[in-house]
Amino acid sequence: MSDNPYALEKAKVLRVYDLTETEKLFLFRFENSEIAENWTFKPGQFVQLTIPGVGEVPISICSSPMRKGFFELCIRRIGRVTTVIHRLKPGDTVLVRGPYGNGFPVDEWEGMDLLIIAAGLGTAPLRSVFLYAMDNRWKFGNITFINTARYGKELLFYKELEAIRDLAEAENVKIIQSVTRDKEWKGLKGRPQQFIVEANTNPKKTAVTVCGPPRMYRDVFETLINYGYRPENIYVTLERRMKCGIGKCGHCNVGTSTSWKYICKDGPVFGYFDIVSTPGLLD
Amino acid sequence: MRYVKLPKENIYDFLERLKDYGKLYAPVKISEKFYDFREVDDVKKIEFHYNRTIMPPKKFFFLPREKMFEFSISKAEYKETIENVEPFVVFGLHACDIFALKIMDTIYLDEFPDKYYKVRREKGIIIGISCMPDEYCFCNLRETDFADDGFDLFLHELPDGYLVRVGTPIGHRIVDKSIKLFEEVTSQDICDFREFEKKREESFKYHEDWGSLRYLLELEMEHPMWDEQSELCLACGNCNTTCPTCRCYEVQDIPNLDGDTGVRIRRWDSCQLRSHGLVAGNHNFRPTKRSRFMNRYLCKNSYNEKLGLSYCVGCGRCTYFCPAGISFVKNLRTIMGLEDKSCPPEISEEIPKRGFAYGGAKQ
Repeated sequence: MSDNPYALEKAKVLRVYDLTETEKLFLFRFENSEIAENWTFKPGQFVQLTIPGVGEVPISICSSPMRKGFFELCIRRIGRVTTVIHRLKPGDTVLVRGPYGNGFPVDEWEGMDLLIIAAGLGTAPLRSVFLYAMDNRWKFGNITFINTARYGKELLFYKELEAIRDLAEAENVKIIQSVTRDKEWKGLKGRPQQFIVEANTNPKKTAVTVCGPPRMYRDVFETLINYGYRPENIYVTLERRMKCGIGKCGHCNVGTSTSWKYICKDGPVFGYFDIVSTPGLLD
Repeated sequence: MRYVKLPKENIYDFLERLKDYGKLYAPVKISEKFYDFREVDDVKKIEFHYNRTIMPPKKFFFLPREKMFEFSISKAEYKETIENVEPFVVFGLHACDIFALKIMDTIYLDEFPDKYYKVRREKGIIIGISCMPDEYCFCNLRETDFADDGFDLFLHELPDGYLVRVGTPIGHRIVDKSIKLFEEVTSQDICDFREFEKKREESFKYHEDWGSLRYLLELEMEHPMWDEQSELCLACGNCNTTCPTCRCYEVQDIPNLDGDTGVRIRRWDSCQLRSHGLVAGNHNFRPTKRSRFMNRYLCKNSYNEKLGLSYCVGCGRCTYFCPAGISFVKNLRTIMGLEDKSCPPEISEEIPKRGFAYGGAKQ
């Protein structure tokens, strides 16, 4: 790659899926086939996606690193750049650099159970972990994926997860999908922490990944620890405003004088004890 | 280290010769009160006894506004634009500013070296000069009052000239090429140097230990100082612009009128502006002026692991140039309990300091 860390690589949109009213899933492939085949990442890492002439946004990768040749980004239409992204059609070209961030320490998790707790758009980065675990099923013990959203129509990857539910059940993978506000919803209702008790994971040897709106974390942590999940095995992935992705532009800085962090470089994945000793990480 | 002496009568000849190495930038008086690093033609205009420049020397390496790429929408292409940087000389940096550049290096020349910064850093020749602190200086408390490296030459003022420390091969070359201008250092010069350093050490306003500051800042996050002082703050971002180690930047894509081509630029950003922590969807991670005010204090006092220093070098610019008259040093000393001895301060209610973790620990 170039010696300029801000240099961009061309990537083509291969497919676009509508997930919800505001979220779409985009499938990209680098135009340079050598990069396309060799480019890899860790679950939890993100890329900087540029729409020529519009701007650059950090987006976490939501596909599995085991499936080469393409990568997927789940993007919510929320700002100036993402509105333009939502107009992309298959065949359009965008520019990408990355991957950035530390990612989840998936190699350290070998042999452990895996509990994934996602709320809202938090499903996107954790889907990467989930798919990685499914692709490397033998590396992990039992797996539970708790996927929640406010309303049924906002549940990301609902159909995808429902489709594999029965198959997954046979493989000791439990999928729990619930909504918190939707009164009309036919399925499960409740906040993510309510379903931790139903997880098939052994608290003593489970890696827990949590991602969702900041308000959620406190209750989830409390429930997890009360059920005996080990704090050192709890991980979250966070978001901030980012312009560079490599710890220079300063927008994602957080912390205090003894624990100063750049989310893009030191994160976006943080352990539970990072959060306890770095005020401001979650709020 | 190599030491030579530059007699006073040769200083202007020496400065004139520096122009052979590239454009010469040096501190000049730009208004009644202010100094700044400017390109100098007439070396007689250079100020040797300035207190601090309004703009820190980072502006030569990390440009206030810089073109990064030229793009074309139709071709979906971003072409890197790195101009051909000519070598240049920055004369007259104080020790704090040299340390500030070293701090910038730890960020910009880490495992992802910033190319735009790097090309300028490689071409810039740094010549330091000794200084006499004024009441705003506190580099002694930051341990940045004497530069060990990070310069090509460093001039220490003597009554009849300068004691010159040579820091790099380029420094040796500059000395060797004009060796006729230099003399050997004498015993008298060493005495004069010692005298100067002693006088300098004594003229700092504060002589105290700030070792616990980093921890006290964390413990005193509910101190009434934060509310009082952030209320005074105009959130103008002057402190960031004048800070020699502030390095946040904003990136923008600016299209041309033809609707196809344009440039991606970056420009200095300020953490005191509301937009700094704002993300799409209108969520702001630092929504209040207080949180942004505090952010700067915590950032500047955090620990740079590579150098073992704080990010603040004690140059005093943020206090000197603050239009609201907020004193960084005074506020930090308040936190340290050095301004006002009452401890604990009078508080209306005890606010939890978050020592207890989530979950279990609460019971």
